[in-house]
Amino acid sequence: MMKELKEKIVQRIKANFADAAEKNDFNYNRLDFTVKKETIPSILFYLKDEMGFIHLSDANCVDWLEEGELELVFIVWSPKDKIKIFVRTRLDRDNPVMDNLDMIWPQLNTYEREFREMFGVQVTGLEAPDEFILEDWQGPPPFRRDFDTAAYAEKTFWERPGREDAQDVRETIANRDGEEIPDFAKKYSR
Amino acid sequence: MEKKFLILQKNTQDKMREKATTLYIGPQHPGITGNMMVKVQVEGDTIVRARTEVGYLHRAFEKLQERRNWLQSFTLLCRFCVPEPDPVEESYARAVELLEGREVPERAKYIRVLMLELARMGSYMLWYGGQSGSLGLYTIGQWTVGDRNYILDLFEELTGGRVYHMYIWPGGVRRDLPEGFADKVLRTMDYFEKRLKDYDDLMFENTIFQKRTQGVGVIPKEKAVEWGVVGPVLRGCGIKSDIRIDDPYEVYDKLDFIVPTHEGGDIWSRALVRRQEIRQSIRIIRQVIENMPSGEYYNRIPNPFKWTLPKGDAYARTEATRGEVAMYIVSDGSIHPRRTHFRGAAYVHGITLLEKILIGENVADISAIMNSLGVCPPEIER
Repeated sequence: MMKELKEKIVQRIKANFADAAEKNDFNYNRLDFTVKKETIPSILFYLKDEMGFIHLSDANCVDWLEEGELELVFIVWSPKDKIKIFVRTRLDRDNPVMDNLDMIWPQLNTYEREFREMFGVQVTGLEAPDEFILEDWQGPPPFRRDFDTAAYAEKTFWERPGREDAQDVRETIANRDGEEIPDFAKKYSR
Repeated sequence: MEKKFLILQKNTQDKMREKATTLYIGPQHPGITGNMMVKVQVEGDTIVRARTEVGYLHRAFEKLQERRNWLQSFTLLCRFCVPEPDPVEESYARAVELLEGREVPERAKYIRVLMLELARMGSYMLWYGGQSGSLGLYTIGQWTVGDRNYILDLFEELTGGRVYHMYIWPGGVRRDLPEGFADKVLRTMDYFEKRLKDYDDLMFENTIFQKRTQGVGVIPKEKAVEWGVVGPVLRGCGIKSDIRIDDPYEVYDKLDFIVPTHEGGDIWSRALVRRQEIRQSIRIIRQVIENMPSGEYYNRIPNPFKWTLPKGDAYARTEATRGEVAMYIVSDGSIHPRRTHFRGAAYVHGITLLEKILIGENVADISAIMNSLGVCPPEIER
């Protein structure tokens, strides 16, 4: 039953979207389609309005650094057919541009703001404040693979006095100020 | 005539702008459900514009997971949403199992359902406190948060941790049920079943609660799915939708329970749905204890520092008290995730949905509406 339903969906999608490359080797209720980025708005509209995939379950971005591409994945769910479809597309990593899609599902606006901020994807036609989570961010998009979180943390934050040589902060402060550490606190000291 | 109308319209808009006051609700505010801010424009005490501002809490968990092996992520996962961390652990564990094709022993699946339903009850006990507290009814919260400790006691005995458990992991669960644990669970359920009546007397039969919640924060039924509404909030719009039934996982398809719904789409309907779901959780827990098979509880994974997953991706969804939560993982065949992405219900409920339904509401109801949507800011800023 599920297999027949999945085959029907694949046929309908392929009949309407010639560039849709399909992957259907999952033994559960999942289908995958990879399309060109220009096809994304039309296929999502079609899935929602014509095929009953009315629920946008998720949208996310994967950085394929070695291949020079960013992959966008939209996961939609049909409450009637109980099937989820993954719609994928790839963007040029050096110039990632996608169309605004929040007219299809309004909540995509939030996902697009995150794509823009965390992955550097330019969303044409997106109406939203410039900043979402980051504030006054000047660096490269932080969720890209080549962003080094450890180097950023070392550069941005510093150790509190007493931590640089792995000493107990209470001991350092007590020594500095000439204070005695009470007995009850001593047992926790290293 | 047309020009005159435009001038009149402009003057009216200017006057309205003059009248509108901007209020910053949060990020440090007793009525806000966590570290976020709702910037509202009010005319009198009616909200005319709302904008959710986040950025106070981002910890880049998804990025940090890329530097950890598949198992080390669990210390981060439980912090995605503090009141109810177990569905996040479960969705991640199941996504890993889906990708690897790892079998999970039947007993472990039952134990997982037990954990998830206890977590649901614990989370709803906190919700009682938040929802009633937002309307000035503080006694209910004191009772339910106190009673929640009986559930946390169970968690402590089973997992070693009261709030963060890291108990559900790939291949099953971390340890088997201790001796006598099932009896303790059943006794706790008996206690809660009696106690629900007390909560009802204090909350649902309270005129203040009824008047402050009926017809407030209404979500139109015909727009609910399109706007990304999920979980008890969607069921409070009269739409029967529950991942435990629609896309069953673990052993939910072997259990007998109903999915309560209520027409109305307001805070009251959402509260009624949650109240009924507690009873369903008790029902599920009793069935789990009765039908749990004996046997293995863990299909051992290889050495985590050498454990690689096949190339590909997986997506696992779980029904939490806030609605649909899910984990998307991508593997490039190494010992680290290529990418993990967490889908939380609050990501939609706390931003686009909240901004829409606050318009036209009274400023005093912001907190009650937020609580009714299950907005959990750590889930927005993973």
